[in-house]
Amino acid sequence: MSPGLDSHSDPDLSRDPQQAGVAPDGLQVPGAVLAAIEGALNSYLTLDPEGAQGFAPLYGRIIGIEIRGLGARLTLVPGPDRLQVFGSYDATPDCLIRGAPLALLRMMTAERKESEIGPGAVEIEGDTAIAHELAKALGGLDVDWEEQLARLVGDPIAHPVGQGLRGLAQWGRRTGDTLTADLKEYLEEEVRLLPTHYELEAFLAEVDTLRDDVERLEARVERLARGRHAGPPLARKRKGKRAKGPGPAKAQ
Amino acid sequence: MSDRETTHFGYKEVPVEEKAGRVRAVFDSVASRYDLMNDLMSLGIHRLWKRQTVALAGVRRGQRVLDLASGTGDLAERFAGIVGAEGLVIMSDINAAMLAQGRDRLLDLGRVGNLRYALADAERLPFAPETFDCVTIGFGLRNVTRKEWALEEMFRVLRPGGRALILEFSHPNSRALSRVYDLYSFSVLPGLGRLIAADAESYRYLAESIRMHPDQETLKGMMEAAGFERCSYFNLSGGIVAIHRGYKL
Repeated sequence: MSPGLDSHSDPDLSRDPQQAGVAPDGLQVPGAVLAAIEGALNSYLTLDPEGAQGFAPLYGRIIGIEIRGLGARLTLVPGPDRLQVFGSYDATPDCLIRGAPLALLRMMTAERKESEIGPGAVEIEGDTAIAHELAKALGGLDVDWEEQLARLVGDPIAHPVGQGLRGLAQWGRRTGDTLTADLKEYLEEEVRLLPTHYELEAFLAEVDTLRDDVERLEARVERLARGRHAGPPLARKRKGKRAKGPGPAKAQ
Repeated sequence: MSDRETTHFGYKEVPVEEKAGRVRAVFDSVASRYDLMNDLMSLGIHRLWKRQTVALAGVRRGQRVLDLASGTGDLAERFAGIVGAEGLVIMSDINAAMLAQGRDRLLDLGRVGNLRYALADAERLPFAPETFDCVTIGFGLRNVTRKEWALEEMFRVLRPGGRALILEFSHPNSRALSRVYDLYSFSVLPGLGRLIAADAESYRYLAESIRMHPDQETLKGMMEAAGFERCSYFNLSGGIVAIHRGYKL
């Protein structure tokens, strides 16, 4: 019926993006993709109704997410039991979160959000409490897969399957840890390809000492050079002049 | 008003008083399968058109929204998820069967609290002036007998600063697309209507009424005549559908 399935391919919208309320440049996410994202997010939320309650304080808040690099803008509007996802939304967002894709992902999943927001990897404009609340709500989602399976096949089957999977995951984690430790020991102690933790610490401490020594030496050289150009400090005072000499180039 | 005054009902000319009754009959006939038919007719794209309308409406928490010709409530449902507990969405339709369908659907989805329902005629809205921040009408204006009255009513109930959005079938802006679209509307669509809703005539009316609806520029002019300012329209899917937006300043 229609070749252009959404506004993205529409000539009017692309001709005058300002009028359409979209970001003046950058990528506009097609409506079909937004609908798919919204569908996927909401399906996930229905799997963890308790976790989804974390979005309740954000009901009706307009949260803009700008993905740096792509220039794409998404707008999330959480509702009582579902999220709405738009491309550009024609109202000033209550909170605008801006960052590179990976930084945004890290912020959403990090235990301590400050670590991502602090160094400027993610910028937040507007009400920052909303961004924290959103990250908290997303982080609080934890789907009980065993419960979901139980709805399909019943508890008697779902529970052992869940136990089995949990055991398998634990075994995997334990094996992984052991392998990592063994490999580390082999590289550090047996073939001596890598320095040990203590060697590395000592080396770094020596580097620090050396750097301080160099800085002290540099200061000393500078002081001596200044003295040589300007004569003895007492003479300078008597003449009432201040010595101005081109200092030596600052060492790196 | 003269008894001989007529208006169009699809391609037919009917007395003005008859149109509302005939439109009602069409929607009474299709109400129960309206959503399914919409999905089939537009290949599901009507959901994207409605999503774009909501994005352009830019409704905020705490605002009041009136959704006219709400049908099964797709727009109202989205607005209710945005305005929050302090806001209000009124879902309105002239057709009792459609409104009942919409109300049942939203109740079943658990959308309650900030949603109200009103059986109302868009030409004579039962609301005080300057009540709403946003008024929308999705795929409804072409069925209204006196479109000018409806636009004036939308303007009247809006608060200063409020906006009206009209989502409606319009006129494709390329000739090739127009041909394909005609073929689809007059051959495939009534066939689908017969198959799904056992009512080819109603769907023929829908296709005809779309052709009789004013084109993009004409509707924009009508909005300006009703008092709206900063009017603009956005073509979707090559002009098959357009969203008109105007502000009361």
